[in-house]
Amino acid sequence: MPENRTPPAPHSDPQQLDPTALARSRREGMLLRTRKIRRSVAGLALGLFTAAFLAVYVQLASGHDPALTANAERRNVSTSLVASTSSKAAAEKKLAAEKAAVEKTTAEEAAGTEATSTETGEASTESSGTSAVTTSQS
Amino acid sequence: MNGHETNASFDCFGSSCSIVVSGDTDTRSAADAVSFAQRSLLDWHERFSRFISESELSRLNRDPRREVPVSPLMAGFAQAVIEAGAMTGGLVDGALAKEIRIAGYTDDIHQPLALRRALQLAPARQPAAAAPGARWREIEVDLMRNTVTRPPGLELDSGGLAKGLFADVLGEALADHAAFAINCAGDLSLGGRARTRRQIKVESPFDGRTLHTFELARTGVATSGIGRRSWLDRNGRPAHHLLDPATGRPAYTGIVQVTALAPSALLAEIHAKAAILHGPRLASARLPHGGVIVFDDGTHQVIAPPPVITLGELRCVA
Repeated sequence: MPENRTPPAPHSDPQQLDPTALARSRREGMLLRTRKIRRSVAGLALGLFTAAFLAVYVQLASGHDPALTANAERRNVSTSLVASTSSKAAAEKKLAAEKAAVEKTTAEEAAGTEATSTETGEASTESSGTSAVTTSQS
Repeated sequence: MNGHETNASFDCFGSSCSIVVSGDTDTRSAADAVSFAQRSLLDWHERFSRFISESELSRLNRDPRREVPVSPLMAGFAQAVIEAGAMTGGLVDGALAKEIRIAGYTDDIHQPLALRRALQLAPARQPAAAAPGARWREIEVDLMRNTVTRPPGLELDSGGLAKGLFADVLGEALADHAAFAINCAGDLSLGGRARTRRQIKVESPFDGRTLHTFELARTGVATSGIGRRSWLDRNGRPAHHLLDPATGRPAYTGIVQVTALAPSALLAEIHAKAAILHGPRLASARLPHGGVIVFDDGTHQVIAPPPVITLGELRCVA
């Protein structure tokens, strides 16, 4: 009795059969995913920037700006003025040797004596606190 | 021991020097460091003075050979002359020893010409310029072999460049102490492990009063000017030791003194001299690390050093 057969039941979700609705649904899904990725990238970039900024800021704020105060930098500047680039290390060694020689001579001469400044007539003195220094024309 | 200082003041380089050191190291006490620094400066004065005929500098200047073996420190000084010339386009010229002798600077100046009197007698003010010949370019230094090569007859003038160099060399030698201050006849090197901030007072060339006070922990400082080493020449003209390389005559630019701050005393010395020689219009541009400029009329301009934010200040902001 085919005439009595009931027609197939309609699909439970009619939208699945509607290509437009299906496309819209997929599009919305992609948009959501895109937004999520964008937010993640932006958040990550912001986090990295903040971390780098804080690292540099704290370094400078603590008075350790390498360009201004680090001893190594200071030595480099000093050295660059007395030595060519190609022989900087050698120059440092030579100057260090010079200083060591002078120091050795000084130590030998000063050993066992109190003649800190006998040649100049004014002995070294000791004091408390940090003294000021004055700069004037040489 | 940071607050306990050992110091010494003594005559050297035709002026006065002082050493301040606090804190002992594993190998040296502060008192020994002061003694070492003092003797080093006195020794270097003997070796680098133009006015001592048997000094190493005098022997180098009159040596007939083109290439002359020298001590490492003398080689370093000759290299500093080259660097100063290159940095300033020849304005700071350490090869003008003959010119300065001709100008009348042949011995230590014990009684300088009064600055205001010198300024009254001085010619019209104009900026200095580099010498067209620029003989400093003919100097070559081999820091490996410790030789200076130059045409015989070219003479070096130790001047302020040597003092800046000495202050830096001593500064490196004393760097392991808690704090130190080396005043090498006006060229200062301050430093030390404790980063102790120290007041640096800038004196007026007119009356000696303090014009400005900086407070820094580690720095090089140099003051250069036309008041301390000045005289009347044979023709009754005022003269001083800062020469205009273009004319070979003392430079009167409208500035009488410049104090420069810099990471090293030698660099500060170069900045200070260049600022004076450039004259009022460009002087401040020659002081990238700060300083004080004193003009002919007695007024002065302070160029603040670049700010350094401390951790304490950061905590205050937070």
